[in-house]
Amino acid sequence: MNRRTAIRNCFFVTAGVALIPSCMQNNDGGKPSQVYNKIPITAKHELMMAELADTIIPGGETPGAKEVDAHLFSLVMVNDCFSPDEQQQFLKGMDEFEALCKQSFSKNFAALNETQRKSILEKVVTMSSDKNNAAVQFYQKSKGLILQGFTNSKYYMTKVRVYEMVPGRFHGCVPVKSVKA
Amino acid sequence: MGNNIQNTTFDAIVIGSGISGGWAAKEFCDKGLKTLVLERGRDVKHLKDYPTTNMNPWEFQHRGQLPYDLTKENPVISKCYAFKEDATHFFVKDKEHEYVQEKPFDWIRGYQVGGKSIMWARQTQRWSQYDFEGPARDGFAVDWPIRYNDIAPWYSYVEKFAGISGNKDGLDILPDGEFLPADELNCVENHFKDHVADKYNDRHVIYGRCAHLTQPTELHLQQGRGQCQKRNLCQRGCPFGGYFNSNSSTLPWAEKTGNLTLRPHSVVHSIIYDEAKGKATGVKVIDAETKEEIEFFAPVIFVNAAAYNTNLILLNSISKRFPQGLGNDSGLLGKYVAFHNYRAKVSAKFNGLSESTTDGRRPTGAYMPRFRNVKKQETDFLRGYAIGVYAGRGSYTDTSGVGSTLKESLLAEPNHGSWNISAGMMGETIPKITNTVSLDPVKKDEWGIPQLKISIEYDDNDEKMIKDFFAEMTTMFTEAGYTDIKTADSKQAPGLDIHEMGGVRMGNDPTTSLLNKWHQLHSCPNVFVTDGACMTSTSTQNPSLTYMAFTARAVDYAVDQLKKGELKA
Repeated sequence: MNRRTAIRNCFFVTAGVALIPSCMQNNDGGKPSQVYNKIPITAKHELMMAELADTIIPGGETPGAKEVDAHLFSLVMVNDCFSPDEQQQFLKGMDEFEALCKQSFSKNFAALNETQRKSILEKVVTMSSDKNNAAVQFYQKSKGLILQGFTNSKYYMTKVRVYEMVPGRFHGCVPVKSVKA
Repeated sequence: MGNNIQNTTFDAIVIGSGISGGWAAKEFCDKGLKTLVLERGRDVKHLKDYPTTNMNPWEFQHRGQLPYDLTKENPVISKCYAFKEDATHFFVKDKEHEYVQEKPFDWIRGYQVGGKSIMWARQTQRWSQYDFEGPARDGFAVDWPIRYNDIAPWYSYVEKFAGISGNKDGLDILPDGEFLPADELNCVENHFKDHVADKYNDRHVIYGRCAHLTQPTELHLQQGRGQCQKRNLCQRGCPFGGYFNSNSSTLPWAEKTGNLTLRPHSVVHSIIYDEAKGKATGVKVIDAETKEEIEFFAPVIFVNAAAYNTNLILLNSISKRFPQGLGNDSGLLGKYVAFHNYRAKVSAKFNGLSESTTDGRRPTGAYMPRFRNVKKQETDFLRGYAIGVYAGRGSYTDTSGVGSTLKESLLAEPNHGSWNISAGMMGETIPKITNTVSLDPVKKDEWGIPQLKISIEYDDNDEKMIKDFFAEMTTMFTEAGYTDIKTADSKQAPGLDIHEMGGVRMGNDPTTSLLNKWHQLHSCPNVFVTDGACMTSTSTQNPSLTYMAFTARAVDYAVDQLKKGELKA
């Protein structure tokens, strides 16, 4: 992950908290970057999702999930497309996931270094036989959403696997080698 | 077009602007009649009112998915395969227009200029002699008052204008038409076709016929339409006019004649029957926005409101002469309604042809015309089913890892999966007197019109047909060497096929039918019905092409009768 970006984001959020306390109302995690009308998402949650996205699909030479805002897409999906039960489960899982980080390293996920983050994800994967574990569910849902956000981003669909809006052709039987899948 | 129409008298009134209403408008206007088209919904202009047509996938906030609240508030329409983030604006939401489900029925509607022709599936197979002869041979419903030969020239007529792609397959069960070139079957569909041809004399796998301009003719270019670019985003409305809908084709054509008056936001309350003259004289409309009541008059009225709404309008057209609804001397109006059975699907995998795949997209796939009970009765159920067959090869990416491993996998070329093939049943259902639509005695809509009460269900014949389809399809897939064969019965309610038909059926005998062979109400001959409501039986084909042909034929007859003074105002 890009450490400098992470630090900058941390700083930005911290500054935000310091500057606009009146906007926080009931949440003490800072004002989020977009409106969530159904789930109490704060800037802190957004940061956590951004860092989770960056850990799952890191940036670098080419954009990763965080650079294409897959974390924000994920939270929009939770807000708009999840049922109330699924939302509660997601939020509960998010808390438990953070608790796991605190338990292991006495820090939030966003504050962990790369090695620590990976070890958390590995730990969650080892717990994945426990289907009812909220942290596991949160991680699995989040990974799915982050993958969806990344692979459906403008970057991915114009630079990696190019979406053709107007193919203008159909060939029913061509050698596999001649086309991109 | 504004809704402040000064003139209230026209040469013809067409109720509805969907696939059949658009055709009625075009034909009347072409023949020089001043024509009023009444549409209950808003106007949708070709190109201008297709807001999502050029949007990229990433420009949709939910990447095509529907928000939870929308699906929760709209349990019926959310079941429709085309009700996705790019086309929700073309479908009626559940709460906007309520109806009474005496038995579960998913009523999928599009209330706007162009109706459902904007989002239809565009499959256009002709009926054959065996379809029209069905009820008489098998002793259900009533005999159709027409035969294939009556309608064949009109199929040709509408096919040339609409633009239908297909192959000349030379099958008497699915007659050839006026075709533009067809797209290709893919490797596995051809593989299946060859296996079926080897094994069965009476079963055929062909390329489905569909309303796409694979090679536009002068007539299509005159409509301002161009070649299909194989986007497969048709439900949004096509920026090329590559598929047929009322908005890009029949309606602008009618408008160019100068004879068309199109009035959106016009909810038809009823047809006005003049007791003294002994005929219908016009239509009572309620403006959807102002709730103002307005009457329009014409010597001839075409009802093309979409099958069940056509029933509703006629049932609500009460007069001293017709206390049970217009033309309803037989008491059968709203009865013998039917649909297509789309519940059953069989899918399989094919591990062969692993060196081949497809490139680009196409608007349809393979089609198997009905092979059960065609020439004679041979099973323990009546009639049969057509089958839509699609094969495709997906790709997959390993997403099990995280970090750089996952990213490398996502950036690498994906892997080709094995071929999948699926077959969807399109079953004929038998119209029954117990399957009905009627006016709810209590519930009314926003415009004071009774709500429609729908009472339709599957029967034993449908269940037997599904069993037969599962068995036959499993056998055919097994013979072709496919594996992992799975049968699935969606148990979906009637309606989701979006092929509702009947209730104002055609027939020779006024005591057992509503319409004569020219689509006129037996007892009120200046009112014509040429949408799905006129269907005596359903057969297996996607019905829209047949409605188009019926409409063009009936308008031709109506204008002829007007000229002869038979249908005077």
